[in-house]
Amino acid sequence: MSTLIIVDQPPYGNWAGREALDMVFSLAAFDQPAALLFTGAGVNWLRKQQAPDAIGQKSVEKNLSAAPMFGVEEILADAASCERFGLGPEQLVSGVTLAENLQDVMNAHSNVAFAG
Amino acid sequence: MMTSTQPATPTLHILNKPPGHPRFESCLQAIQDGDQLVLTENAVLALADRSVTLPAACKAMKADVDARALDEQARTATIDYAELVRLTAEHSRIISW
Repeated sequence: MSTLIIVDQPPYGNWAGREALDMVFSLAAFDQPAALLFTGAGVNWLRKQQAPDAIGQKSVEKNLSAAPMFGVEEILADAASCERFGLGPEQLVSGVTLAENLQDVMNAHSNVAFAG
Repeated sequence: MMTSTQPATPTLHILNKPPGHPRFESCLQAIQDGDQLVLTENAVLALADRSVTLPAACKAMKADVDARALDEQARTATIDYAELVRLTAEHSRIISW
């Protein structure tokens, strides 16, 4: 049984994404296969060099960098959404796999849940 | 149907919703000549979104642009909080979307 959590909302505006991240980390920490998919405005989670000090928040980029440590299997990003928001390979954080077909990604998991 | 005979008062639109949010679209549709748009919070993502066309009179909060690492793609002037306060003082009509 594997779980895919889909983040389709941008970071910082609400807590939905961070809560989803906590859920994925918890699943992975207890050896439940878990993966993350970022799509739509959600791909903005994956931009390098975020500096949220001035808005009084912690960087979701740092938060996300803990994923391999917890054993999260895969961090996926919708290729079309990255294109839409101008996220090329140079702007993306490391360890992200681009997905061309979201249906294939969703079909590969027995549990799929949208964050928020 | 009501028709307005008065010219619209120049309005400051403060938008904090991301592209794709219904209120983001409503805001852009409501903007008229002479109005000023300020993008705050998640609305600054419009600067990176290639599917969005922004009005010419558009500014974005620098803290929010920096938080999301958008500076290299910013298509508009960034402002600080002091400038936002100045804009709110200059406009007699403000809509916070």
